[in-house]
Amino acid sequence: MTPTTTIRPRGGESEAHPRPSGWAAARRKFGPLLPMAPGMLFLFVMSIYPTFYSLFISLFRWNLADPSRARFGGLHNYVLLLTDVTFWNAVLVTFIFVGAAVSMELVLGLGIALLFFHRFPGDRFLRAVLILPMVVAPVVVGLLSRYMLNVQFGVVNFLTENLGLGRIDFLGDPAWALGTLIVIDIWQWTPFMFLIMLAALQGVPEDIIEAAKVDGARSGRIFFDHILPLIRYPVAVAVALRMIDAFRVYDIIYMTTRGGPIDVTQTLSWQIYDAGFKSLDIGYAAAYSWLMLIIVVVAVTLTLKFLLPDGDAK
Amino acid sequence: MGNDLNRFSLSRRHVAKLMLGITAIATMPRVAFAADKDKLNAIFLPATWGTVVRDTLAPQYEAETGVKVDVQLVGRDAIHEKMATLFAAQDASFDIFNLDYSWIPEFGGGGHLLPLDSALSAEDKADFFPKALDAGTWDGMLYGIPQTIHPHVLWYRKDIYTDAKVMADYKAATGANLAPPATMDEWLQQVTFFNGKEFKGKTIYGWAAQAAKGYGNVHTWLSFLYTYGGSAFNGDFTESTLSSPESVAATEQWAKMMKFMPPGSTGFTYDDVTTSAQQGTVATALQWSWGAFAVDIPDASKTVGDWEFVVVPPVKAGGVSHPHLASWVISISKYSTHAEEAQKFIAWLETKKNDVVQASLGGGDPVRLSSYQDTKLTGETLPGSTTPRFRRYPVVLKAMETTMPRPFFPGEEAWETVVSGPLQAIQLGQMSVTDGLAAADAAVAKLLSR
Repeated sequence: MTPTTTIRPRGGESEAHPRPSGWAAARRKFGPLLPMAPGMLFLFVMSIYPTFYSLFISLFRWNLADPSRARFGGLHNYVLLLTDVTFWNAVLVTFIFVGAAVSMELVLGLGIALLFFHRFPGDRFLRAVLILPMVVAPVVVGLLSRYMLNVQFGVVNFLTENLGLGRIDFLGDPAWALGTLIVIDIWQWTPFMFLIMLAALQGVPEDIIEAAKVDGARSGRIFFDHILPLIRYPVAVAVALRMIDAFRVYDIIYMTTRGGPIDVTQTLSWQIYDAGFKSLDIGYAAAYSWLMLIIVVVAVTLTLKFLLPDGDAK
Repeated sequence: MGNDLNRFSLSRRHVAKLMLGITAIATMPRVAFAADKDKLNAIFLPATWGTVVRDTLAPQYEAETGVKVDVQLVGRDAIHEKMATLFAAQDASFDIFNLDYSWIPEFGGGGHLLPLDSALSAEDKADFFPKALDAGTWDGMLYGIPQTIHPHVLWYRKDIYTDAKVMADYKAATGANLAPPATMDEWLQQVTFFNGKEFKGKTIYGWAAQAAKGYGNVHTWLSFLYTYGGSAFNGDFTESTLSSPESVAATEQWAKMMKFMPPGSTGFTYDDVTTSAQQGTVATALQWSWGAFAVDIPDASKTVGDWEFVVVPPVKAGGVSHPHLASWVISISKYSTHAEEAQKFIAWLETKKNDVVQASLGGGDPVRLSSYQDTKLTGETLPGSTTPRFRRYPVVLKAMETTMPRPFFPGEEAWETVVSGPLQAIQLGQMSVTDGLAAADAAVAKLLSR
């Protein structure tokens, strides 16, 4: 490309290039932005403004049922939260849920994807069946789980009793409840991991695998030394997406345990619901949401740094 | 690319057209709304009293007056959420709301409900249960016209209690005659005896009651708390008093009783208690009086006509119990643009005639004293039987004399959510009664500080 220099006449606009009128100048300046305006407006109204507004109301003692009595409280809500054992319990419960569910989904998803890596008869049909749980609404999954796990009439307890394991209160026993919710989440979202892992595996160049085989590398070696490094970006994206989603888990809890028994399944998002929609304490719920946002951002960033350690997590 | 953008020409005419379009869209809802001036929008609970209004009474009202009432049935939690968000936005989409009475202080006190004192005449008010009217009143103003009342009553299986073998076994085991419990301890003795016994080839459990976290376990426990003379708060709701000796005694009794419920009872809701009663898997139950309709539905119940009712037993023989009161009221949004018409409709819903009609159609228990004497209700029997359909009414009348509402203050919904967790810890044996109640006191103090 040849560099060019534009020589502008001194002393202002020439007659050949008259100064545009106010309207024309505005049209030239902002006209190209107009097609973007709806999108920007939507983003501002639906995302940017509510986000900062929630930060604003988190500084208020504000009950939705009686907004006339709202008053500025500074960091009152944050102090209350950070000194509340139920908040820290919710943090712990959420981390256990997210950590266990997402790691199991990753392992299972990758494992199943490896099984589907090579074509076999009926693989397309099986693949379609495998992703079915993912397309069911979480509310429906929760409702079905509640019925299937019912102690007296549920099909799962019918099976456990016939297997000699007795009847188990999966959703009402503190020892079982959180684990049961993790299993439900794994059942529903492993297909998501599977799809991403399968797509990633299919992107791995065949010649690299063939070359490794020619060099005498065994399957495990090929997987850990060649395939895994090549699919680390899709793995990181899938884990990040699932983590963000798992942190927000609400529907399944609403339909099954409602945070119980006691506080065993009381996650951060459930607590926010309680504060915002049961107590109508929106200042407190907003502060809760901001703390949760910080926790999610930190957790996802650290996970990405762990998965992409060579400065790739940008 | 730059050329493409330059082709886009923004003229004054374009801007004028855009503004015209926006104005047209902005004015459309008002035009549409104006066309709906004879339509009321209402939200009711999807319980029988809500379906009766939607399916029978609202169409009848439209036929009589020409005013259409569009009734949407929405779950309890969703009604609460909807009211809060609509009121915060001062939204007039809905005119009429069906409320759990414990929300009256919250929304009435917040200034979102229309005072309804003028909707009922003095004669009408004299006919309502005073406690039902109190449940719709806050700060001396009536904000909710009662639609149904249902205090806790004790349900017992008459066929079990009159079975000769069961009676003999009970006598042999306890030395006492089997009869509906006259005291809390007698009830405990009976549920202990019944639990795990076989009756008509089926394993039965001592009792069933709501026990789920959220509000279920709190609602059951309140009947124990009140009967033992306890209370949740001091007089002005500034201090939680759950660690009082009365409260400890009540909670100990409740916790002992909870061991004799069917497996999985930790999550028992109203529906689970009803199912247990219908399937005949429990000998007794603590349930809302109104819910008795469900056990007499032949298609759904295996115990039609088998259940009888008594008041919740007192602590000592000859004493008085204080069952927990449930009631749903009907209110009008302050932001309604059809307030006058809405007031006419809800007053019409609760006329003497319609109070009886609602009950006979399977709605909630009547709110007017006169309805309990109405022969249309008292004379009705179950199909093919001489068992009275509304045999619970004498017990309901007795229970209404001593029933007590849940803590009546603007933070009740949050309060029961907070108390529910420690109660469940007691229920599951994860905390002692005193530790659990101390934890509940601390949690309530934290809530009040918010």
